[in-house]
Amino acid sequence: MAAPEVLESEITNAVTLLKNLQDQVMAVTAQVQALTKKVQAGVYSTEKGLSLLEVKDQLLLMYLMDLSHLILHKASGGSLQGHAAVLRLVEIRTVLEKLRPLDQKLKYQIDKLVKTAVTGSLSENDPLRFKPHPSNMMSKLSTEDEEEDEAEDGQSEASGKKSTKGVSKKYVPPRLVPVHYDETEAERERKRLERAKRRALSSSVIRELKEQYSDAPEEIRDARHPHVTRQSQEDQHRINYEESMMVRLSVSKREKGRRKRANVMSSQLHSLTHFSDISALTGGAAHLDEDQNPIKKRKKLPKKGRKRKGFRRRR
Amino acid sequence: MVTDVLHPGKATVPQTEIREKLAKMYQTTPDVIFVFGFRTHFGGGNTIGFGTIYDSLDYGKKNEPKHRFVRHGLYEKKKSSRKQRKERHNRMKKVRGTVG
Repeated sequence: MAAPEVLESEITNAVTLLKNLQDQVMAVTAQVQALTKKVQAGVYSTEKGLSLLEVKDQLLLMYLMDLSHLILHKASGGSLQGHAAVLRLVEIRTVLEKLRPLDQKLKYQIDKLVKTAVTGSLSENDPLRFKPHPSNMMSKLSTEDEEEDEAEDGQSEASGKKSTKGVSKKYVPPRLVPVHYDETEAERERKRLERAKRRALSSSVIRELKEQYSDAPEEIRDARHPHVTRQSQEDQHRINYEESMMVRLSVSKREKGRRKRANVMSSQLHSLTHFSDISALTGGAAHLDEDQNPIKKRKKLPKKGRKRKGFRRRR
Repeated sequence: MVTDVLHPGKATVPQTEIREKLAKMYQTTPDVIFVFGFRTHFGGGNTIGFGTIYDSLDYGKKNEPKHRFVRHGLYEKKKSSRKQRKERHNRMKKVRGTVG
């Protein structure tokens, strides 16, 4: 049989390998001992902390090592009960889980860095591209006359001359990403309809219908003012501005009219019988527009044979 | 500062009284206190306005607009009517150069 010969050659291989292993193990122990001595002596200062990515790398490596050790142990028939590696694994796992929110916070930065490293430039929509560059405002082209003058005159005069010469260059604003304006009449109409629909959905009729058909318990809230209208919000904004800036703003006629209308409407019993317009949901036409003006329908006059102006003169 | 005056049942409080009250509150004299912009809410009883207090009258003179000094009585404005100003201007148009 060829088995003993194969075994013999393999034995010599195994002996050399084991000797190598011994030498390497001794070298590794020597290195580890030196490292521990250095760490205990405080050569590696961790005052500024460690980088998150480094820590994560090391933790994952340690996790893998412990896991492979445990697999080996289990594969050779040992039990995992109370094994030290299990405790180490649990500890590393907890630390990794706790690091996850930090990871989330850094995700944007890391993604951007990786993208820049891969493509070599910032993307078009990157807001960093739009930051102000004051060095672009100064004219970088300095003529020879300027330099000669600077050498001759005093410093103050030279700076004055330089400023006048630099100002003569016309400022051209940088062209960033131009966006085409293509809002057609149809789109405007669609947006108006959407807004009207949203307003109609939050009107009192629809709200009461919702309450009637929903299974949720009825809520009775004691609110300051249930109708937070746009006018009241604008008034509040104006009051805040006036009190913070300590000035009094003038009120235009249109604004006065709107305010008076809002006050009058809310103080009368108008709101008892007049409900907001839900024509956006029902599909009809709106009667009143935003400023409470009735929407007039344009009538097309039939073109009859009109008398021309010059007719009479010719007569 | 923003000054909120509550005066239920009374008319709007005059500015001199407000200045005196503020002087008592902040332990100064009423001549370094300048108040402005008072608006009474509908129905009466509550007025909101603004007020500034200076360390000394000199600072106040440097930083306040002239019409508030007029209210204190420290400044007199030249009262020439619009008609008179326009007539003077039209007279000046007829003469060229400096008048002796």
